[in-house]
Amino acid sequence: MTTGQARVLVWDWTVRLFHWLTVLLVASMWWTAEEGMMDWHRRIGMILVGLISYRIVWGLIGPPTARFARMVPTPQAALAYLGDLRAGRHKVSLGHNPVGVLSVFAMLLALTVQVSTGLFSVDVDGIESGPLSRHVSFETGRLFAEIHETSFNILLALIVLHVLAIATYLVFFKDNLVRPMVTGRRASTDFDASVADNRAGLIRVVIALAAAFAAMSAIWFAGG
Amino acid sequence: MNIRRTSIAIALFAGASLLGACSKAAAPETAGPVVLENGLTAKEQIETRQAQLKKMGKAFKAMNDEMKAETPDVAALQAAAAALKLESGGIEDWFPAGTGPDSGVKTEALAAIWENPADFAEKLSDFRAASDSLAEVAPGGDLAAIGDAMRVTGMSCKSCHDTYREDD
Repeated sequence: MTTGQARVLVWDWTVRLFHWLTVLLVASMWWTAEEGMMDWHRRIGMILVGLISYRIVWGLIGPPTARFARMVPTPQAALAYLGDLRAGRHKVSLGHNPVGVLSVFAMLLALTVQVSTGLFSVDVDGIESGPLSRHVSFETGRLFAEIHETSFNILLALIVLHVLAIATYLVFFKDNLVRPMVTGRRASTDFDASVADNRAGLIRVVIALAAAFAAMSAIWFAGG
Repeated sequence: MNIRRTSIAIALFAGASLLGACSKAAAPETAGPVVLENGLTAKEQIETRQAQLKKMGKAFKAMNDEMKAETPDVAALQAAAAALKLESGGIEDWFPAGTGPDSGVKTEALAAIWENPADFAEKLSDFRAASDSLAEVAPGGDLAAIGDAMRVTGMSCKSCHDTYREDD
């Protein structure tokens, strides 16, 4: 898949789609919650359940830059990377850099907490509630709703950090990280060694999609 | 919001203690908690109504749970409808003057309640009518009719909360 312009694939199309859909849907979730459009909040939340499920399975079976086990940095690598940055040296990482990946894990975790607590949340009036709320008491549902609110603030802080970091790379290191997340590609000259195949294999995509639909259906049926 | 409220409270407290210190020599009056006309302190009144409103929320959730269930437990539904009416008894008296945000007690009730008493009373009577008719419809066991009565009641909760309660 390497094109004539010697650009290599860094992010497969499903990772990129996941990323931008998450941006869109998290913004919509914020909007619908603020406006009290709770029917839409629940519907979009269900799509996020599918998206997150896909990404988690993709982190287990996806290509190298998407795979969790390969993303986990060693403390030495993270410290060395930070030292380089502070000295003004920016060495392009293939996939997530050893420090940025921590924020990626944090965001995925916060997003998972956010969506899971929403499933069981109950509003103080007992009127609006998540799809699985009837399996918990009013008090437990209220507790979930409070965590839901706190974890949103944490998620928001992590998103701000993420965007600031990307702006920093653009301004101080003249490295546009947004473009590869759109096109999936970077110049092959950015990397010393040859780059592993990061394409999304069709069968694996189907498996991860099936897991996503299974998660959504399970909640659908359990919610009644 | 909380920080601002706390600092206002601290300022008020500081001011009050200064005043107290000045007047102490003249009139040895102890500034105890404000007692409302009904004999409760503002704190007691606010905590009582919060506890009752929570019981109402709990009853409403119980009804919604049954409506969502594959085979609704009609008896549980009826019990919850009766509980909503019971627990909301006397709601008209839960918001006496002096139990708003300026009472110094943590409350989400907005000052607008006491600025628009007529409208607030009307919303309470709408709720009273809706929850009464829900309690009347429930024993019949007609799920569609109960569902309709629940929607009307829920909307009356919301319309009041949208105007008179702090945003969640």
